[in-house]
Amino acid sequence: MKKVLWLFLLPLVLFGADLNPQMQKYMEELAKQAKQENPDFKGFDYKRGEKIFTSTHIGKRGKPISCVSCHTSDLTKEGKNINTGKVLPPLSPQANPKSITKVKKVKKWLKRNFKDVYNRVGTAQEKGDAIVYIVNKK
Amino acid sequence: MKKMKIFTILALVGVAFATFSMADSDEYSKKSYKKYGSKYSVAPVNNKLYEDECASCHFGYQPGLLPKRSWVKLMEPRELENHFGDDATLEEEDRLTLLGYLTANAADSKYNNSRLSKEIAREIPRGLTPIALSQTRYFKHDHDEIPKRFIEQKEVKSIANCAACHTTAQKGYYGERDIVIPNYGRWDD
Repeated sequence: MKKVLWLFLLPLVLFGADLNPQMQKYMEELAKQAKQENPDFKGFDYKRGEKIFTSTHIGKRGKPISCVSCHTSDLTKEGKNINTGKVLPPLSPQANPKSITKVKKVKKWLKRNFKDVYNRVGTAQEKGDAIVYIVNKK
Repeated sequence: MKKMKIFTILALVGVAFATFSMADSDEYSKKSYKKYGSKYSVAPVNNKLYEDECASCHFGYQPGLLPKRSWVKLMEPRELENHFGDDATLEEEDRLTLLGYLTANAADSKYNNSRLSKEIAREIPRGLTPIALSQTRYFKHDHDEIPKRFIEQKEVKSIANCAACHTTAQKGYYGERDIVIPNYGRWDD
């Protein structure tokens, strides 16, 4: 019972202020999953998220790529798809209030972009860490 | 009295002439629409889901630019997993909705009246199912005079980036008079 309560409260403490109810619920689901994947999981982490976002990997196209390649390192600015040149709205909710508000959209892009950059899907912990970083990055 | 009569006749002729020339100019604009309109244009995108799911990453290619069989192939789940090198997987419900929109408005759809669409549908050999207009001989023939440096420059990046040079591509109009190549200018063939 205590464990369940902890799982429920932890996300609220960490990022309750920045996310809307549907996103909070999604973060709780991710936290639950992360705990199942890794019993030592203690909650999502900004620093880990930063590493996920900024580190370079051999992506789906077989070439080095990172999240920064398209979204840039300033998340309050517009990004640009490096393959098509299409302008991307800022990822940071501080500059773009619509960003990270729809769970469906967030899930879709996490799935696609982890494949684009890491050539695999992300774990629950990685997804949560990345969201914490995106939402809180100044 | 005689003067009055002549004036009336002149006035009537004037009105008749004006009406005639109005009809003529109307006819002219219809002709020019046919000439510059449907010959070089396809129906613009009018689907929010398509704009959100597809045109958020790349130019929103109008459904009338490819035949049905091409859209069907392109929208297969396995194809979407590797969509020109990127992951473009969709939720099944959205995938089916988009497939419906694309095929209903495809180049060879009976609902499509665009002459450009009909030409595209006619020009792609039956045995082929290209998943990009830029892969077709028809397209290549129209774009083979463009120097590589115009395409490779950062403002364009790819021959698939229609709107980089076709300034009215968003509206579905691909006529030559609206082509402006970045760092070069108007394109006169």
